[in-house]
Amino acid sequence: MTAHTAWRNPGHPVQLLLGLTIWSLWFVALYGGLSIACAVAPPAPGQGALTALNLWLGLFTLATLGALLWLARCCLSAVRREPVRAARFIAAVAAGLHLFAAGGVAFVGLPLVALPPCL
Amino acid sequence: MSETLPDRSSEAQRLHRELEAVWGNPTGWRALTVVNHSTLGLRFMATGLVFFLLGGVLAMLVRAQLALPDHDFMSPDIYSQVTTMHGTVMMFLFAIPMLEGLAIYLIPKMIGARDLVCPRLTAFGYWCYLFGGIILFASLLLEMAPDSGWFMYTPLSSGEFSPGLGSDFWLLGITFVEISALSAGVELTVSILRTRSPGMALHRMPLFAWYILAMALMIVVGFPPLILGSVLLELERAAGMPFFAVEGGGDPVLWQHLFWLFGHPEVYIIFLPAAGIVSTLIPVFAGRPIVGYGWVVAAILITGFISFGLWVHHMFTVGIPQLAQAFFSAASMLVAVPTAIQVFVWMATLWLGRPRMTLPMLWILGFLVIFVCGGLTGVMLALVPFNWQVHDTHFVVAHLHYVLVGGMLFPLLAGLYYWLPLVSGRLPSERLGRLGFWLTFLGFNLTFLIMHVTGLLGMPRRVYTYDAGLGWEPYNLVSSVGGFMMAAGIATVLLDLALHARFGRPSPRNPWGADTLEWSLAMPPASYNFASLPRVETRHPLWDNPRLGAEIARGEHALAGSTHGRRELIGSEALTGRVRDIIHLPTSSWWPLAAALMLAVVCISLLMRLYPLALAAFMAAGVLLLRWSWENGGHPLAAPLGHDEPVDPPLHSRTQDGPGRWTMGVALLADGAFFLSLLFGWFYLWAVSPRWQMPASSPLSLALLLGAGTLLLVAVGWLERRLRALDAGEDAGLAAALYGIAALGGLHLLLAVVMLWQAGLAPTASAQDAVLLVGLLYVLLHGGLVSLLTVLQARRATLGYVSARLPLEPRVVALLWRYQLGSYWILAAATGLLPRVIGGGP
Repeated sequence: MTAHTAWRNPGHPVQLLLGLTIWSLWFVALYGGLSIACAVAPPAPGQGALTALNLWLGLFTLATLGALLWLARCCLSAVRREPVRAARFIAAVAAGLHLFAAGGVAFVGLPLVALPPCL
Repeated sequence: MSETLPDRSSEAQRLHRELEAVWGNPTGWRALTVVNHSTLGLRFMATGLVFFLLGGVLAMLVRAQLALPDHDFMSPDIYSQVTTMHGTVMMFLFAIPMLEGLAIYLIPKMIGARDLVCPRLTAFGYWCYLFGGIILFASLLLEMAPDSGWFMYTPLSSGEFSPGLGSDFWLLGITFVEISALSAGVELTVSILRTRSPGMALHRMPLFAWYILAMALMIVVGFPPLILGSVLLELERAAGMPFFAVEGGGDPVLWQHLFWLFGHPEVYIIFLPAAGIVSTLIPVFAGRPIVGYGWVVAAILITGFISFGLWVHHMFTVGIPQLAQAFFSAASMLVAVPTAIQVFVWMATLWLGRPRMTLPMLWILGFLVIFVCGGLTGVMLALVPFNWQVHDTHFVVAHLHYVLVGGMLFPLLAGLYYWLPLVSGRLPSERLGRLGFWLTFLGFNLTFLIMHVTGLLGMPRRVYTYDAGLGWEPYNLVSSVGGFMMAAGIATVLLDLALHARFGRPSPRNPWGADTLEWSLAMPPASYNFASLPRVETRHPLWDNPRLGAEIARGEHALAGSTHGRRELIGSEALTGRVRDIIHLPTSSWWPLAAALMLAVVCISLLMRLYPLALAAFMAAGVLLLRWSWENGGHPLAAPLGHDEPVDPPLHSRTQDGPGRWTMGVALLADGAFFLSLLFGWFYLWAVSPRWQMPASSPLSLALLLGAGTLLLVAVGWLERRLRALDAGEDAGLAAALYGIAALGGLHLLLAVVMLWQAGLAPTASAQDAVLLVGLLYVLLHGGLVSLLTVLQARRATLGYVSARLPLEPRVVALLWRYQLGSYWILAAATGLLPRVIGGGP
């Protein structure tokens, strides 16, 4: 693995930040996207939660959730084969962090199925 | 105080004398030049203690006023100043600097280093803190203190409703103090990542270092939004730029966003180091390793991130969509998870160990009770309907004191009692200490447990008095009695601390049977900490090798002695702790004090509206900082090239990736957070402000915009080529190339100035032009700085301070070039290109 791609290694310290950074970017995009859409083209209040805006934000949430679960799986499987103890520790903690971030995406994104976007 | 060395052999005494000659502090007037982390950490804490006492007196004034209905010994104006200053002093002048001071004092000792990686930055940070704090507190003595609440909401804090100097004192003083916080944040981050003992891989690092690493990075990312907000509000007040005024296209809610983007992480910036104290002390007093080290590391990182996603829960009543409120409500509940993980880890460690009920543990148990209660009311406040009901009542005041006093003050006092023998070599009085604890604990709960009820009965915060018959009288009276009882408790603790220095029993070595490296040192520690730097391959070095202290003192480990006269410590790899280089540190210096003094002149000149003087002092501060940076690397006063210097590992200035590069990288993280906050302001006002006036076409000339950016691109490309050549050992023509690159930077600057001139902005008439002006000034300042630094690099190359053998410095400056390239083009796209593509208007 070259220096440019080493950060993708599950034992690289960047993995400790990756999952929660993705959570943060998703969160900012979710709130920012909602705010801009509500300012520019708010859906009719009578539509409730069944709006195109909720749908797009929901799909974005599912995609982020999938990416985080995949990253968690990569780190989990690396824990068993990583020979360096420090890197094994990083991979194990990173797997937990990716899983937490995935849980966070699911939990924070849940209101999308129940609440109208711009009321 | 004379040190008690861990070993009294003649070899240990010889090493001590040799190292003390290099690392010792100057005395007399030259004590102002000290850069040693132990001295400066203690200065931070002593100054923080003074501000704590002043803030405490203000709290007592508030409780005296509210003890009885219709009490009016303070006028509404004075009361508002007192409450505002109480919150401001406790948050900005006590909590953060105190914990930074503790970290500055402890971190090198815990990770096996002789000092922090940027000692002069530590000194600069201390002076900025001291001068900023004095300027801010002077406002109260002059009866012109800020009075808009510690969060300074606009428009209350704007020129129209706060025409005096109060808000200016706050904005300028706090910004000045935040330079100190950022300095500490940057150097603590780099020190923890790059100067740990050989073998101390990340998974063996003391948990306290993990907590401080998270705190430091949170400061680096979390403080810039408030610095930006303060700059914008001061520009609005002083120059009339309407960032927060609706009629000019601004929005007062933007201030709330910027403030709470900083303000909520701030709570965790305060909590995390305190939790680090708890995670350090509990295993020691339970007599066993902590349960779930990895879980705690994960919890620290989760807290660090999630705490940045909660800021809108302070703004649930300003009118945002329910769905957005639900996002922030859910995120607010989510942050309880990592906190709960830590609480369960601490309980499990106590459960599985054999706890000893010492004085520090008493404070830890007090913390556990109070903080868990504060956490539970926090979850209540995360629920939107409940939040609406108790918003701006004394319930919120009670909650925040449970979290901050329980979550910070109690662990801090536990830590002070724990590390006191290390600092002074003496033990405090058990009897006075216990009396102080119980008075504080009972007084605190009497004050703030009752205050929850006062809040639920509807008493709003920040009202200077209340009518009899509202049903709030008995609760307020009890809270006031409790407040004075707590003050008596704190006074008892301080008396104990004062008396122990003279009457305390001499402490045995490692009196608590601790496992971490700081207890291997002399008590009090010598100026150089470690006579030799040990290899550490365990999380519990002193439990595994109780004789480590004596071995270190006898020089049985690395870098024993200092015959060369340099201040040296080992530079290690961030992940594995493998040795990379030998870091040489600068010595005592007047530059940090002189630069901070000049910034104090800037601050006071701005307060007095003496703008030419402020500009002159700012430029003088810049000159002083650049002169400070000149004594670096291969400079004769630092580490000039020689024939007998170490090769394996080499001195850091002979490598391509020394700590200076890491310091620049972390500092740019803070710079980037500032820049992103500005971009957030631009897009927020564009999307939300009802009177945002975006013209149909951008006022920025497209040709000049692209031309200036292209020049920057060429300059960075040229620099990258020279860096590759330097890596290959070619330094012929380096100085000329650097002059050429600086000239391209100068041309870039010239085009940007012409573009700004031609734009004909009206920053006092529209928020759009005002934000644009700030953005352009930002890139101009960076363009000027990076060009100037490159000229200096060229001069250093001419003098032989930069060459193929000394390749580090151009790499440090290259980071700033890349940053300038990225930020320029992002700004160009957001303000010059995007409006052309999607059109203006709100």
